[in-house]
Amino acid sequence: MKLHIQIAGKTRSVDYKPGASTVTLDGEVLEVHALVLRPGILSLIVEGRAWRVVLDDGVDESAVHLAGERVAYNLDDPRSLKARRTHAGDADGPIHIKASMPGRVVRVLAQQGDAVEAHQGIIVIEAMKMQNELKSPRSGHLAELRVSPGDTVASGDVLAVIE
Amino acid sequence: MPYNNSLPANAQPRPFKKILIANRGEIALRIARACREMSIPFVTVYSDADRAAPHVLEAEESYRLGPAPATESYLRGDLLLEITQRAGADAIHPGYGFLSENAGFAEACEQAGIKFIGPPAAAMRALGPKTLARQAADAAGMPRTPGSTSGLASFEEAIEIAGEIGYPVMLKAAAGGGGKGMRAVTQREDLKSAFEAAQSEAERAFGSNEVYLEKLIERPRHIEIQVLADEHGRCVYLGERECSVQRRHQKVIEEAPSAVINAEVRSQMGEAAVRLAKSAGYTNAGTVEFLLDGDRFYFLEMNTRLQVEHPVTELVTGLDLVQLQIRIAQGEPLPIAQDEIRLRGHAIECRIYAEDPDNGFFPSPGKITRLLQPGGPGIREDSGIYEGWTVPMDYDPMLSKLIAYAPTRQEAIARMLRALDEYIICGIRTNLAFFRRILKHPDFQAGNIDTGYLDRLLAGTQLAPPQEPCEERKVLATIAAAVFESHRTTAAPQPAAQSTGGWKRAAREEGLYR
Repeated sequence: MKLHIQIAGKTRSVDYKPGASTVTLDGEVLEVHALVLRPGILSLIVEGRAWRVVLDDGVDESAVHLAGERVAYNLDDPRSLKARRTHAGDADGPIHIKASMPGRVVRVLAQQGDAVEAHQGIIVIEAMKMQNELKSPRSGHLAELRVSPGDTVASGDVLAVIE
Repeated sequence: MPYNNSLPANAQPRPFKKILIANRGEIALRIARACREMSIPFVTVYSDADRAAPHVLEAEESYRLGPAPATESYLRGDLLLEITQRAGADAIHPGYGFLSENAGFAEACEQAGIKFIGPPAAAMRALGPKTLARQAADAAGMPRTPGSTSGLASFEEAIEIAGEIGYPVMLKAAAGGGGKGMRAVTQREDLKSAFEAAQSEAERAFGSNEVYLEKLIERPRHIEIQVLADEHGRCVYLGERECSVQRRHQKVIEEAPSAVINAEVRSQMGEAAVRLAKSAGYTNAGTVEFLLDGDRFYFLEMNTRLQVEHPVTELVTGLDLVQLQIRIAQGEPLPIAQDEIRLRGHAIECRIYAEDPDNGFFPSPGKITRLLQPGGPGIREDSGIYEGWTVPMDYDPMLSKLIAYAPTRQEAIARMLRALDEYIICGIRTNLAFFRRILKHPDFQAGNIDTGYLDRLLAGTQLAPPQEPCEERKVLATIAAAVFESHRTTAAPQPAAQSTGGWKRAAREEGLYR
């Protein structure tokens, strides 16, 4: 099957069928031997060079570890690319305040409907004895407050919306 | 001095029946291992967040303390004493952190007839507050930084003392630790605001606004001496550890011996540390911290407990500090004399944290989806994690301590770099790659470090940013990603993985391989 995989800003097309002895990378055919040892752990031999590769499925992104290095990747499918573009276009639209880390909400510093200044603290989250104050990047009003103290949040969750 | 002196009849060693380990994480496992090796039964305790933690799984006996917050669990001295009695234990090992330096708890143990494996409450009270420790240092004839030895009564007193010793000066909380309540002041105009800020920060963090003032030593090295004192008046020092690689006053890398301490300075510092311990009636393991400026050293503070970085001392001395702590607490005399202590080789420790160096060092609790741990010659790992465990968000982010031991410093660095490459933790972010960058930095390799070294590197551009992988790696990573992705998409006829979350993908993948 053909996949488009993006690493460090560059997208390559790869054609590979599980069990096959070759992979086609941007039109070039390479000899590979891929052996999945257990879920997410792969022994990969490409043109005689051997690598152990480990899959790191975070909640926020996927990456592979090889030879002491963690390399993040994206599966580039046209639909999500489009989705991303539409999203990037609305700089003047609502701003999402997102959790910078997984943690627990310890304080809420503004109420829904409040007018907020740029750099004003909105929510404080805490994890592993460290607190982080999430601030509004610009002035506006707090259109949505999606959490209250005690809530557990994941990294990247939208906690509030500024309009 | 021969060490097997006979003891008076009332001081005969009394083996413990059972030890309660009042801690969690890697240190709870470290203590459990020592108990097993000594054939002493042990009990562990856990909060609701730690039911599946390794220190519970490894125990033969374990009791629930309470809800996740430490104030309702690991800091509940009353519950710990109750459980100790219920379990029929006669000693408590506090580890580090939590109640380990709490004199009130040590005293409550003494009153309940339970042995606190550590110094007596009186010695903790005499050396714990930094102002009292500075007074004790004076009494023991130890060099310390110029400045006050009691809390500043007023801003006027601060101005006066700063004028006497000269700027720059440092304001510090007497009850302080971890860099809280600390302010560096380079000129008189800034003293007032810094004094007030340090006071209020100290009040908030420690419940005491006592602040003192000392001369700021620029670019000092952090050198500390491990001491061991038995309950029969004997005390030895076990060489030094260098902990100059710090981020915001928190130790990141420790090593033994220091790259710059010679035998003469070592024995001067060691003897000073022993004098201090003896003067306070100190027993058990403790650490005397110094600042080193050129070849002059100044007393900083004493830590009245076992320290995180104790393994580097264990490796270069060949001694087991936790077993020795237990033996000392049982009333045994120190089994080793000062002139029998030899330092051999070099050890380096990296504190592996669940934090993301590429995102402001934010904590990264969560599920460890895959774990491959290093091994081989000279590698020791004191770990508190396992694959499949969810690292809770309620406690500090230390996952594990990776320690490399080799004949020389250079070989220990090479060994640590090799072990870091073998170490893979998936599902959460860690500082593993950050250590590779420090260990390869020319100043670290040359031993050219001080307590501001790492913060300067992070602030500037000297520490190369995480490099983009080389072309070959990118190609391989692309192929590997394709292999992983094609395996999951052939397993379940669903749209591309992009649109689904990690959890769903993981579940699908598990289904494939089971």
